[in-house]
Amino acid sequence: MRIGMFFREALRSIRANAAISVAATVTALIAVFILGAFIPSFMYVRSAVDAQTAKVDVDVYISDTATVAQVNSLRGKLDGLRTDGTVAAVTYVSKEDALRIMRERLRDPSVLDELPSNPLPAKFNVKPAEAENADVIVAAVKDDPALDPTEGIVYPETTADRLLTAAKFVQWAGFALIGILLLAAVLLIGNTIRLSIFARRREVEVMRLVGATNWFIRWPFMIEGVICGLVGAVVATGMLWGIKVGVVDAWAAGADSALTKTGAAAGTIAFPMLTLILIGAGALLGAIGSGITLRRFLKV
Amino acid sequence: MSDGTDSRRPEFTLVQVPDAASPDEAPAPMFSAPVQDGKRRKGDIFRPGPGPMVEFRDVVKTYDGNSRGLDGVSLQVDTGEFVFLVGPSGSGKSTLIRLVIRELRPTSGSVIVGGRDLSDLRRGKVPYLRRAIGCVFQDFRLLPDRTAAENVAYALQVTGHGQKEVRRRVPEILSLVGLEGKYDRLPRELSGGEQQRVSIARALVNHPRLLIADEPTGNLDPETSLGIMDLLLRINRTGTTVMVATHDQHTVDRMQMRVIALERGKVVRDQESAGYHEETGEVLA
Repeated sequence: MRIGMFFREALRSIRANAAISVAATVTALIAVFILGAFIPSFMYVRSAVDAQTAKVDVDVYISDTATVAQVNSLRGKLDGLRTDGTVAAVTYVSKEDALRIMRERLRDPSVLDELPSNPLPAKFNVKPAEAENADVIVAAVKDDPALDPTEGIVYPETTADRLLTAAKFVQWAGFALIGILLLAAVLLIGNTIRLSIFARRREVEVMRLVGATNWFIRWPFMIEGVICGLVGAVVATGMLWGIKVGVVDAWAAGADSALTKTGAAAGTIAFPMLTLILIGAGALLGAIGSGITLRRFLKV
Repeated sequence: MSDGTDSRRPEFTLVQVPDAASPDEAPAPMFSAPVQDGKRRKGDIFRPGPGPMVEFRDVVKTYDGNSRGLDGVSLQVDTGEFVFLVGPSGSGKSTLIRLVIRELRPTSGSVIVGGRDLSDLRRGKVPYLRRAIGCVFQDFRLLPDRTAAENVAYALQVTGHGQKEVRRRVPEILSLVGLEGKYDRLPRELSGGEQQRVSIARALVNHPRLLIADEPTGNLDPETSLGIMDLLLRINRTGTTVMVATHDQHTVDRMQMRVIALERGKVVRDQESAGYHEETGEVLA
């Protein structure tokens, strides 16, 4: 019935304006392809930044003269932070462990043999649940009596701040870029459909003359836009699939690749989900593009 | 391309036209008459009532700049009338017609069609006005990539008729206007006269109460023109009000209908049973 008729009208118009339909489809293809390449890249960068910020940890050094009760009280405070979700993990590193670690790190461990006693303090290594929680942890324990007076609390303040700034920047720049891309795609498709309508200006005039309502005229054009958007999106997704299998997966499989090292590949979007998003975006681009353009032609 | 159809039609002869108001004398109905039972059809925007079909009250239409389309026109066309609008190019005939279908809006004054003041008509209602008025133009205004049948079908689909109705009514109306066997021709495969018949069929398929024609014979040879005018007259006999803007002096003189003459946007003559010029008003036998 009606929907069937609108589809027949849309297909008729695609056939009648093959060149313009192809142009609209290619525009949608390019827009969706860029979007589809951008989403996983953006997510990869973000998860790489996240992986770096996850490495931010706080070392709480314990004074050699602290009593067992004082150390236990400090541990209690940190455990409290863990139960409320501020802290992901607390590890105790004894003086002996600290010395062993130092020994492993030094190229010439024999220098340590010269020492009369173990100078390294014991510490709690605290992993914040989120990088920005480091400040909270520091504030909670900075006046504790068990703290080592010289070492105190050590955490890579500047690194953490820089990473956080970078993460936020990546996020906002990503949103802004996606927004600009989508806007450009809508304008491009709208422009292409404007050409198509311009070519059929008289046709639209005749339709109005015999009493077609605006929606009656609009539906076939909208369906035309959606079909072009969908076809473009499907082809773009196919190309992205080829690139993923042929290039990205092969690269990720390489032993020393950055992807496997940081484990960031796991943080990107699953391909079926990406496909759904891209095809939805294609259809939406087509519909919005033709919808906006038609407004101008259906006045009076 | 095809030239023959019009010559195959019976020669046009000016018969004594029975009054449209006395349907008993009319020949077997060729066109289903518009529904005039006072009941309103779905989507019908005309107000039922005894008033005139078209009324202009001191209508002025000024285009951008200072050029005047109409300069204070008042006129009245009653239901069932056949009216010629005559006058030289630029006299305001087309402006008048475009005001009736609300392609234009008056600068001042009011245009009332079917009891509706068009200035009060919301934009969303304009399509419904157009469905109640059949329009025929000099350049036919057919959709070029559709066959004769599809062009007529489009007007039916617009008003929400299904495939079944379309399959029944389209061949019926096309054969009534004399296009049997040409249903599947594209406009470019038809002669001018045939294209105009398709456009008349399209205008009629929704049973309009008012048929408006702007220079319907402007692109046609005299013989074909007579065939088209004959068709419009037959439509008028079923009770449809018909307004024809034309410079076709020959046809106007022969048909002796009401003539409204425009000059520089003003009505200079409004005369029953008249010819194109005032002097040539004698009735031809």
